Amino acid sequence: MKSFWQRTTLVLGLVLMSVSALPAQQAYKLRVDGLACPFCAYGVEKKLNAIKGVQRIEVDIATGIVTVTMAEGATLDEATAKQAVKDAGFTLRGFEPMPATHTP
Amino acid sequence: MKPTTVLKIFRYLVIVLALLIAGGWLAFVPSAQEPPYQFVSAWGKKGSGPGQFNDPTGIFVADGEVFVSDSRNGRIQVFDLDGRFKRQFGMPGNELGKLGRPMNLTIYGNELYVAEYFNDRVQVFGLDGTPKRIIGKTGGGPGEFNAPGGVAVAPNGDLFVADFYNQRIQQLKADGSFVRQWGTTGKIGIRAGQFNYPTDVALAPDGRLYVADGYNDRIQAFDSDGAFQRKWGGPFAMNIFGPFNGWFATVTGVTVDQSSNVFVADFYNHRIQKFSADREFLTSFGTKGQGPGQFNHAIAVAVTTDGMVFIADFGNNRIEKWMRDN
Repeated sequence: MKSFWQRTTLVLGLVLMSVSALPAQQAYKLRVDGLACPFCAYGVEKKLNAIKGVQRIEVDIATGIVTVTMAEGATLDEATAKQAVKDAGFTLRGFEPMPATHTP
Repeated sequence: MKPTTVLKIFRYLVIVLALLIAGGWLAFVPSAQEPPYQFVSAWGKKGSGPGQFNDPTGIFVADGEVFVSDSRNGRIQVFDLDGRFKRQFGMPGNELGKLGRPMNLTIYGNELYVAEYFNDRVQVFGLDGTPKRIIGKTGGGPGEFNAPGGVAVAPNGDLFVADFYNQRIQQLKADGSFVRQWGTTGKIGIRAGQFNYPTDVALAPDGRLYVADGYNDRIQAFDSDGAFQRKWGGPFAMNIFGPFNGWFATVTGVTVDQSSNVFVADFYNHRIQKFSADREFLTSFGTKGQGPGQFNHAIAVAVTTDGMVFIADFGNNRIEKWMRDN
């Protein structure tokens, strides 16, 4: 019979393995010009938020960089991002996948 | 061609150009008719605590209280006229009482009307923060909104809403039923009565409607019957932006005082401009910066009955108070 500590170690190991097997979160860096006005920035944010799988959006008004973080396993393609930015009245100037920054 | 002839032609060209510039300046850059306003005080900094802001985007003053749309914090904050925090209400969300990026505000009949950019609606609160009702929903049909930016209320209770992405101004009954609209839904235009992302509206005591025609860099005015009256902002008010008197660089807020003067938040010029009801330029105040009396994008403006002016200083996350220099 396995001891208590052996069983606990086994369970913990399985939990850690399952966590590491989860698909990684993907983020994207979008460059959009002319975002200084909140009427514009909120518009981009609102249109991107409507895309399925988008979990979080951060808009840096000063640099015109919009960071889109997707839910686990979801991805964003450039054409969809381009259309959302266009619907908001802007032009997508750059689209770059990047690792997601994990936040609680 | 002789060198002396070339020199003569060049001289004439320089004279003609100078005359054109002088003529243009006289025709399109009015001089101030009133002294500038004086900075009084400022309050607020970036944050989420009481008296702090994360994108102040709208402001209104009534009965000795200043109401501020604290947009990213999803709340309304209320202060006295000296900037002392009194109360707050709302949190981010889309249920009754919650707010999705509140923008320009108005108060009528002891009720606060909030244009909600993210929730595509106008939400009405009691001045104590009690949520009362919701007007409108997402869409482009009559009585629907696509990112409303500002609202005004007429004495009969009718609402006038700047319907930002629908490129129109809607007039609705108090219950939200459609009355009429100015502009063509979803279509940007530069001619009189057309809009390029309208951001705010204001009603004058005589019922005249002023529209902050955001990206056309102009103000448009309509009489109480809805007929177009006038427009102004740069040469011919045709989307020519600039930093001169009477010109704008994206208009994000408009309000009217008791004497029917029109105050305009001139966003990228970091200033407030004041005009008479007949669009005569009266004065302006504010420059770009972070110091006292400076703005980092002046986004919204409100005026008390005795002429004190309050401005939402968007980029500096604060409110500024100014008064006339008597």
